Amino acid sequence: MSTTARPPTTDVVLRITGMTKRFGATLALDGADLALRHGTVHALIGGNGCGKSTTIKVLAGVHRADAGRIEMAGSAWSAAEYDARAGRAAGLRFVHQDLGLFPELSIAENFALDAGYPRGLAGRVSWTALHRRVAGLLDNYEIGASPATPVAALRPAQRTLVAIARALQDQESDRHLVLVLDEPTATLPQHESRLLLDAVRRRADAGQTVLMVSHRMPEVLSVSDDFTVFRDGRTVASLVAARPTEAELVAHMTGSADAARAVVRPQPASGPAADAGRGDVVLDVAGLAGGPLRGVDLQVRRGEIVGLTGLVGSGRTSLLKTVFGEHAPAGGNVRIASDRPAGDAAASVPARIAGGVAYVPEDRGGEAAFADLTVRDNLSATVVGRYWRPWGMAVRRERADAGALIRSHAIKASSTEVPFAALSGGNQQKAVLARWLRREPALLLLDEPTQGVDVMSRADIYRIVRETAERGCAVLVASSDQLELCGLCDRVLVLRDGRVAAELSGAALTADRLTALTQSTETTAGPVPAPGDR
Amino acid sequence: MSLTSTEHVDTGPADGPDAGTTPPGTAASPSSRLKGLAERNALLALLLAVIAFFAIYPESSDTFFTSSNASVLLGNQSVVALLALAVILPLVTGYFDFSLGAIAATSSVLTAGLMSFSDLSLGLAIAVGIGVGAGIGAINGVLVTRFGLNSFVTTLGMATLLGGLIQWYTGGQTILAGIDPALPRFGSATWLGLPRVVFVVLLATVALWYLLSQTPFGRSLYAIGSNPRSARLVGVRVDRSVWTTFVLAGALAGVTGVLQLARAGSATADNGTSLLFPALAAAFLGATAVVPGFFNAVGTIIGVLFVSVAVSGLTLSGASAWASPVFNGAALLVAVGLSHYLGRHRGVGTG
Ligand SMILES: Nc1ncnc2c1ncn2[C@@H]1O[C@H](COP(=O)(O)OP(=O)(O)OP(=O)(O)O)[C@@H](O)[C@H]1O
Ligand SMILES: [Mg+2]
Repeated sequence: MSTTARPPTTDVVLRITGMTKRFGATLALDGADLALRHGTVHALIGGNGCGKSTTIKVLAGVHRADAGRIEMAGSAWSAAEYDARAGRAAGLRFVHQDLGLFPELSIAENFALDAGYPRGLAGRVSWTALHRRVAGLLDNYEIGASPATPVAALRPAQRTLVAIARALQDQESDRHLVLVLDEPTATLPQHESRLLLDAVRRRADAGQTVLMVSHRMPEVLSVSDDFTVFRDGRTVASLVAARPTEAELVAHMTGSADAARAVVRPQPASGPAADAGRGDVVLDVAGLAGGPLRGVDLQVRRGEIVGLTGLVGSGRTSLLKTVFGEHAPAGGNVRIASDRPAGDAAASVPARIAGGVAYVPEDRGGEAAFADLTVRDNLSATVVGRYWRPWGMAVRRERADAGALIRSHAIKASSTEVPFAALSGGNQQKAVLARWLRREPALLLLDEPTQGVDVMSRADIYRIVRETAERGCAVLVASSDQLELCGLCDRVLVLRDGRVAAELSGAALTADRLTALTQSTETTAGPVPAPGDR
Repeated sequence: MSLTSTEHVDTGPADGPDAGTTPPGTAASPSSRLKGLAERNALLALLLAVIAFFAIYPESSDTFFTSSNASVLLGNQSVVALLALAVILPLVTGYFDFSLGAIAATSSVLTAGLMSFSDLSLGLAIAVGIGVGAGIGAINGVLVTRFGLNSFVTTLGMATLLGGLIQWYTGGQTILAGIDPALPRFGSATWLGLPRVVFVVLLATVALWYLLSQTPFGRSLYAIGSNPRSARLVGVRVDRSVWTTFVLAGALAGVTGVLQLARAGSATADNGTSLLFPALAAAFLGATAVVPGFFNAVGTIIGVLFVSVAVSGLTLSGASAWASPVFNGAALLVAVGLSHYLGRHRGVGTG
C-alpha cells in the first residue's frame, strides 16, 4: 500500500515534479513530487515545516520555485515560467485559511466583489440577477442561507463553504477547476469540520478535484482518496486510492514506525496529576457574566488540567479572555491566587501577567504573532524586562535563551533572527506556547493549543503541558478536539448557553460522552455564533 | 499584519529592532548575511558616494569640501534632523503625526513672543515653548488613543489649527526684537569646529537610539507597530505607550522650534510645513537603513545627511531653488518604495 505507485497519466489533472525551493539557509522543498487525479480529494500531509504551505504558495504564484516542473490542463511550465496567472488560467483556485471574506457584507456582495457585479440597464447593478445566481450556487453547495445574509451571521463551516463556492464560482460544467485548501479545518470545531468535509466529499464525488492540507489525521483519513506525504521537503510516500491507517501515515511522516505508534493517541492522564488530591484553588470563577457568558462557576486547582468544550458561541474564548483581563466582566468575579503579587488590583492584562497568568490565544495570526519581528523578539515578548540593564538590552543572552527554547520545543527555525513569518504555521504555534511557558506561569490558559501542529509535536505539547501541571501550574484548556481533551485533562467542563452545563472526569470522561454532551446542546443553543467569538 | 485601524504605517517586515547593532544569527548562511550587511549599509554607502561625487565634480569641488560649507550644512540641517527624530517616534508604533512641523513653528514663535511681547526670561520662555509642544502632543495622543480618531486626519487638523494660531499670535509679522541675545549666540557658536546645535542633535539621537533599541519600552513600541492586538495580549499598555510617543514627539518638536529660533535669531509666522516634509523624507529613508524595514534613530540621521548633502551639492553646482523640493520629494517616494520592497523581499526571501 505504501509503494509509490504512479497514478495512470490519463486522469492526472495536476502534476508537480522535482519542485525545489530554498529560503536563505532553509531548503523548504527538495525535489518534491505531487500528482492529483481528477475527481479525488488528495491529502497533502507531513510534519510541521516540511513544505506543504510552500508547495501551495508556489502553485498560487506567491513564491517562485527554484527548480521543478508543473503540468496542468495539458500544459507544462518550468518553475521559472510559472506564475499566478498561469495557475489561474489552468484552473487552480485557492481558499486560504483566513478565507478572505468580508464579514459585514452579504454573501451576494462577497461573491460579486470577486467576480464583478452583473450590470443591468444603463450600467446599474442588477441585484436581482446577482441574487438569483448566488442563490443557485448556495443551493448547489447546500449552504442553508440566503444571498442577502451577512457573512458574519453564518456558522464557521458555512463561511468556509461560501469561500469555496466563491473560489469556484466561474466553474462551468464542462471544465473542472482544482480547489486547493490549506488547513481548512484547523480552527473549526469538530462537528463543523465534519459538515465542511462532508460537503467537500460530495463535491469530489461529483467530479471536483481537491487538494487539502490538514494535520487532523482522523479527518484526513475519512475524506481523502489519495495521500502524499512530505518529509523535509521531499515526497516520501504517495498512496493512490488507498486506505492507510493513521499509524502508517505517521510512520511515513516521521520515517519510523516505532515513533509513530507512540504518538498516534494522547495517553490518558495518569500519575500524580490525575488523582484527586490536588492543591489549593488557583482560579476561582463565580457567577461570571459578560458577552456570551451568563453566570459561569468553575475552579481550577494547583496541578490540575481542566478542559473546556462547547459549541461555537458557547463562550469558551470569552471565558478565557475575561479571566486574562482582556474583557471586563459584566458581572460575577474572577479570583486568582498565586504567590506572585499582582501589579494592581484592577483586572488588567498586565496585572494578570504579573500575577502569573499566561494565555495562548486561539487566533495566532491576529492576537499572538509579531510577523515582521524576529523569532527572538517573539519569544521574549513576555519577558523583555529581564534582559534590560542600564547600559542596554542583553541581546546576546536573549539570543542564547531564544536558541535554547527553539531546541527544547523542537521549533524548526534556521536562526533566532529570522522574521516570525518565515516559520511554518505549526512552528509559530509552538513558539507562542514557548513564549508563555518560559514564564513558568501559575495559571496557564490555552485556547486551541495544538492548532496547526503536527501529530508528533502534538504529543510533545501534551507532555509539556502535563509536566507544567505537575510542577504546580493550574491549566485551563479550551479545545474543540474531544480526543485531545480526554487525553490531556483531569476533568472537562461543557459550556452551554454561557454556563457550565456538565462536568466529566475519571472513567466518565470519554470522547463519545463529550461529543454527545456537546451535540445535545445543538438543539438548545442558537445556530448563530457571534462573529469572531465562540 | 491585521489591524484595527487603517492608519497604520506599513514599512514591511524585516529584522528586529536591534539587529543593526548585532550580527545575524549563527545559522544564517554567509550569502544572506552578506546581503543583510549590504542592505543595512546601502544608504550610508550612497551618502559617501554623493559626498565623493560633489567633492570631485568641478562645478562644486572648490566650495563643497570646505569646512565652512560642512559647518553651514550641518548647522542648517540640525533643525530638520531633530524634527525627523520626533517624527519617527509615533511612526514606530504605526501612527503618523503631521502636526510636528506646526508644533515646532508654534514653539519657535511662542518662545520668541514670550520674550518679545511679555518680557519673560529666556529660560522660562524656552520651558513654555517645549512644554506647549509636549502638551499639544498629549492632546493628539488622547484624540488618537482614547477616542480612536484617525491619526492622519487628527494631526493634519491640529497642524492647520496651529498654523492659524501662529498667524493670530504674530499678526503675520516676523518677531525680531526683544529676543534674548544669548539664544542666537548659542545658535551660531561652534564647538570643536562644529556648530553647537549639532551636539544637541547628537545628544537627541543617542537618547532616542537608546530609548528605541535598548529599553523594554522601545521594544514594546516596535511590538505595537507590528501587531497592536498581540502586543496587548503580552501585557503591553498599548494606548499609554502610543500616547507617550505623541508626547515625546511633541516635546522634541518643541525643542526643534527653540533650536530654529536660535539658528535664525527671529521667528517667522510660518506653519512649519517646509520643515515637516524633509523630516518625513528623512524618516522614511532612514527606515531603509541600519535596521532595514524599521524606523530607527541612526538611519534617520543618515537619511537627513543624504538628502541635505545631495541638495547642497546640487545648489553649489548651480542648480536652481527648485532642486531642493524636487529632490526631497523624489527621495521620499524612493524611500517609501524601497522600504515596501525591502519588506516584501524579507518576508518572502532571505533567512
Ligand atoms: N518566507 C519564508 N522565509 C524563510 N523560510 C521560510 C519561509 N516560508 C517558509 N519557510 C521555511 O520553509 C520550511 C517549510 O515551510 P512550510 O510553511 O511550507 O511548512 P508546512 O509544511 O506548511 O508546515 P506546517 O504544517 O507547520 O504549516 C520551514 O522550515 C519554514 O521555516
Ligand atoms: Mg503550513
